[in-house]
Amino acid sequence: MTGGRGRFYSRRAVRALVIAAWLGWLPGIRAQLPSNPATLTDRGLGLAQEGRVAEAADLWQQALKTAPDYFPALFNLGYMHFSAGRLENAKPFLARAAAVSPSDFNAHYLLGATNQKLDRGDEALRAWNRALEVRPDHVQLMQVMAVEYGKGRYHREAADIAMRALRLRPDIEDLHYMAIHACREAGDLDAGLKVAADASTRYPRSARASFEYAWHLQKDGRFAEALPFLRKAIQLDPNYEEPHFFYGDWLVKQARYEEALEPLGKAVALRTDYIPARISMARALMGVKKWKEAVDALEEAVRIEPRHPQPHLLMSQVYFRLRDRPKARAAKELSLRLRRQNPTFLEAVQSRPFPD
Amino acid sequence: MRIQSLLPLCLAALVPAHLPAQGVASSNAQPVKALEASGLPWEAVFVDVADDAGLDLVFTYGGRETKDYIIESNGSGVAFLDYDGDSRLDVFLVNGSTLAGSPEADAPTSRLYRNVGDGQFEDATARSGLGRSGWGSAVCAGDYDNDGRLDLFVAYWGRDALYRNLGDGRFSETAPTAGVAGSPDEWSSGCTFVDYDRDGLLDLLVSQYQQFDPGTAPPPGKTSNCEWKGMPVYCGPRGLPFGGVTLYRNLGDGAFEDVSESAGVRDVRDYYAFTAAAADFDGDGWQDIYIACDSTPSILFVNNRDGTFTDYATEAGVAFNEHGFEQGGMGIGVGDFNADGWLDLVKTNFADDYPNLYRSSEGLFFEDICVRAGLASNPRYVGWGVEFVDLDNDGWQDIFQANGHVYPELERQTKIAETYAQSNLVYRNLAGKRFEDVTSLSGEGLRQARSSRGAAFGDFDDDGDLDVVVMNMAEQVSLLRNDLPPGGSWIRLALRGTLSNTAAIGSQVTIEAGGARQTRAVMSQSSYVSHNDLRVHFGLGDALHVDSIRVRWPSGQEEDFPKAAAGATWLLEEGSGEAREVP
Repeated sequence: MTGGRGRFYSRRAVRALVIAAWLGWLPGIRAQLPSNPATLTDRGLGLAQEGRVAEAADLWQQALKTAPDYFPALFNLGYMHFSAGRLENAKPFLARAAAVSPSDFNAHYLLGATNQKLDRGDEALRAWNRALEVRPDHVQLMQVMAVEYGKGRYHREAADIAMRALRLRPDIEDLHYMAIHACREAGDLDAGLKVAADASTRYPRSARASFEYAWHLQKDGRFAEALPFLRKAIQLDPNYEEPHFFYGDWLVKQARYEEALEPLGKAVALRTDYIPARISMARALMGVKKWKEAVDALEEAVRIEPRHPQPHLLMSQVYFRLRDRPKARAAKELSLRLRRQNPTFLEAVQSRPFPD
Repeated sequence: MRIQSLLPLCLAALVPAHLPAQGVASSNAQPVKALEASGLPWEAVFVDVADDAGLDLVFTYGGRETKDYIIESNGSGVAFLDYDGDSRLDVFLVNGSTLAGSPEADAPTSRLYRNVGDGQFEDATARSGLGRSGWGSAVCAGDYDNDGRLDLFVAYWGRDALYRNLGDGRFSETAPTAGVAGSPDEWSSGCTFVDYDRDGLLDLLVSQYQQFDPGTAPPPGKTSNCEWKGMPVYCGPRGLPFGGVTLYRNLGDGAFEDVSESAGVRDVRDYYAFTAAAADFDGDGWQDIYIACDSTPSILFVNNRDGTFTDYATEAGVAFNEHGFEQGGMGIGVGDFNADGWLDLVKTNFADDYPNLYRSSEGLFFEDICVRAGLASNPRYVGWGVEFVDLDNDGWQDIFQANGHVYPELERQTKIAETYAQSNLVYRNLAGKRFEDVTSLSGEGLRQARSSRGAAFGDFDDDGDLDVVVMNMAEQVSLLRNDLPPGGSWIRLALRGTLSNTAAIGSQVTIEAGGARQTRAVMSQSSYVSHNDLRVHFGLGDALHVDSIRVRWPSGQEEDFPKAAAGATWLLEEGSGEAREVP
């Protein structure tokens, strides 16, 4: 806790106390205080702590009448509304708080969080960027921002901030995976490869790190180099389905269908609801002309996710090969109908730059 | 600290992102690194000789700096054809317009250039009667009246045109009387002559991109269908009314009958259709039709041999990419790249996506092997014209791909790493196993960055290698002369139907030379809404002659022709059994 009793009425101390009070860390703060903004704010704090939030809000509003730019009252009102889920009410107070105290991390952060909950991702990111200017080393905020940039399809910016977080804290394993994912979404596979290589070196016992490195090596056209890392990932965590799927799917893409069956079978066994693995398995079975088994695999995928168009599409191809054109047509029509009903299953949207 | 305690809360509150629709289908595909270079020499080098050759048309197609409506973006096709029967390849270029329009005297028109020899062309537009202005899109050629002269069909936003070749350098517009003009509000975008009922008469299929009305089309940036990577752009095609497909049956008296309903092609709805390529894909002797569609599944009309078609694109594996994604399909190349006797397909798509290399096995079963075959290294391009063409005469069909983005606004922004002008691409066929990007080895003609659309292929200078004519948005046409060094062996076969249509469109030719077999189809349209030389060109590697020639005529008859020497053009007339050298 900064400030302390000796600086009780300072803005910073008041803010710290507000925060503490909301968390119940500092019971019993209530005193007879003069009616100036600071006094009103502290009295409000005490009331709030007793659960008398409406009365607290009145006091903070009174404080603002005497000093409209009084930061503690603005922040407290904003935070009160935020905590109660009244986000539209919280936003103007927090925006004013951030404006009157631009060096206050919490105001910018909470304004961003409010906007984020209001589905105003761009405004959230703008507020968080200002928070980062105050606390340029705040790695956790960078993680939140990377996710939010990704949601907005600002993949380049997501990659930039994920990489920034990683540079600050290369000792945190998850930051590597966040950066790898963000770089992949941004289409920067070269950067992703470097991070993955570093992660595999730093975390030699991590199946995930080995797998990510293998994935990037393969995308870099170096499958021979990738294979030992895939095997290592499987060895380190035999229950990790991704390396099995990735290897099997790669074999399918190389038309090595027979070989693909084993790793894909393992992936499906480890994660029964793994639709992409089941689809790839079906393609492998089609490649070796095991039509009935392919239909079985696809029907299982349909059972798990009936809305997905792709299993029906492949089923139409299997039946067409079997010269059962009515069944092929029915599967096709169902696939097309599902595609229109659930476009996100088979839709890739573009990334875009964060607007100025 | 309280703030940190909030962070997990916020992270937990994150919900899966809603994926908004976008104007055009793409897959966010990443470049797949090319496999190790073959190290083989590549000698097909291209030089743009349009200026020297007298091809001076600067295309007009909507706004240069911005495009408000999709009609301004798709460009047009081009044609290599011998319209005057002098055995020299002439050039026809379909032109566009602007939304503001032009005074009639200054209005841009399509152009016909007559090949006068020595690599020179003269503008024959005025005499030909082909100089119509308007929003032209596609061209296909065929002899619909079987008088031995090539006629032209030109698709427009607005009424389409059927030009009957009068044989004296002039054409007569017969679409209204022939019944193939369509309606004035339709945007026809592809066409192909095809004898689908084997009566010896060329019928006509026309694809429509959409029903387009600038009065009702939303302005740029209006919805998520009107942005590209955050940049406001013209809307569509998604969100705009779909087009369709029309099939006209040739009645033999100069008139056509719209049989779209009875033939079943009208059953296929909700597509943005572009290039149409007709060939016998399943080897049953009847013409099928593949249509590349933008942001909707592509169409494969399989001929039911009773005057009807059924779309089996999904079942056959050519409607989507290998992952089931819709694509922004534009152009189609048809050939037998792996020399197994079955016709394969290559289709170009929008940016952030790969082309499709649909390898055929047993006719109607296709597999998209684009990534495995090495064609996934350039997803940043918007692909248009494309063809399997043996550019180095080694006996294997290479791939030429014309590229160009659709948003000129890209040139004025810095945050999206894409350009409106893009170079074209050449991929060398490595013995039917995979392709290798040899663009950088293909000369200055491939270093041009333009926004290209249609491309047509033929040997305009009669030097034994295939050249390319390319449509460029708001720029001069490119005539890419192939300066392949002499020495490579080749043969060219000109087919003439007797029972079949005279242009022999729909024929399939298989030759054997030097122990290798090659197959080609004679088509009225392919690439991107364009028309190639109807004479089929085969590179022969080191072979000095062709051991055997087999033609499957569109009538369904198969005919063998005897051995023929390389380095010449041979005329194969249906039923003659003879190959006659063309002087």
